[in-house]
Amino acid sequence: MTSSTAVPSADIIRTVTEVVAEILGRPVDGLSPDADLRGVEGADSIKVVRIIAKIEQAFDIELEDEEIFGVNTIGEVVALVEKATARERA
Amino acid sequence: MTVAATGQGAATTPRAATNQHYDLDPEIFARFLDPLRKYSSALFASDDDTLEQAQRRKLAWVAEQLGLTGGERILDAGCGWGALPLFMAEEYRCRTVGISPAPRQHAYIRERVAARGLDALVRTETTSFEQYEPEPGGFDAVTLLGSVVHMDDLDAVVAKIRRALRRGGTLYLSESCFRSEAIRRTFDERPGTDFIRHGIFGSGELRPLSELVAAAEGAGLSIRAVHDLTADYHRTIECWMANVRAASPALEEHDEGLTEQLLRYLETANAGWGYTTKHYALVCRKSR
Repeated sequence: MTSSTAVPSADIIRTVTEVVAEILGRPVDGLSPDADLRGVEGADSIKVVRIIAKIEQAFDIELEDEEIFGVNTIGEVVALVEKATARERA
Repeated sequence: MTVAATGQGAATTPRAATNQHYDLDPEIFARFLDPLRKYSSALFASDDDTLEQAQRRKLAWVAEQLGLTGGERILDAGCGWGALPLFMAEEYRCRTVGISPAPRQHAYIRERVAARGLDALVRTETTSFEQYEPEPGGFDAVTLLGSVVHMDDLDAVVAKIRRALRRGGTLYLSESCFRSEAIRRTFDERPGTDFIRHGIFGSGELRPLSELVAAAEGAGLSIRAVHDLTADYHRTIECWMANVRAASPALEEHDEGLTEQLLRYLETANAGWGYTTKHYALVCRKSR
């Protein structure tokens, strides 16, 4: 177990959006929480996996397979991160 | 330990038979096991090794496989007479939880724990692993030495192990296996299979290694290593048989015909190694 405090949702949204923007080479402003990750220009399945890997590193969490492969939007990724940080810091 | 006795009464279910065997008078096991009462394969380094030396070497080797440095939290599912939890607490100051459904084993472990002043480090629970719900992420290591053969739902067991492990935690699982899927199919078609599976190898589901690996993969664990311990188990059982022969008068006094019964199943188990069976250790990690 690592630290004890929960990560604020706003921080999670910001970090996830920045990671997506960086890996897909898109401006942060152009990414909304309900944007379909695979529908963003420049996205492919490899980039989605890289996004997940970077997010796991950033938050020091490990997402479950069924979570990763079922995710479609930035908002869903944020929800997964919230769930995982709660799980791993419980 | 997967080489359970034959004919230990009229058990109605495999699990009852297993528990019945392990719940025999602990003094019987004291007659042929090493002083740690470790009822699984030892690890021999030379011709001169005594059984006790080889069992201690084995436990130190398991610690090495787990990467222990001291103070880790270990869950031992199928702890027998507590050889592993006591050793890891004493040698590595680990906090250990031993799970076993056999009440007499716990009574014995409690005595040993008290005698060695390890109360703060060793805890046991009298339950089956299927009934036990570990604290999620609560363990640095989980060990199953020859116990998964007694657990029916392999996928559920490995999923539970994964839940119990912290991220980066390690699983050490050793088990007697059918030598291949083809060998298992061959034995499944024979009427005598129940004797081999439930009589000789302890009540339970003997599986090929491939099935254990598939379950670990399916649960999302990383496979770190597979070790072949077959020759070591053969020699371990030879040591047990020598001890049974030497203790024959006491064993007969305890229960007439016990010597022959013990020798029969130990001999049968040892005859199968490399032909029908293998003994493997699987080391997995909860990691990417």
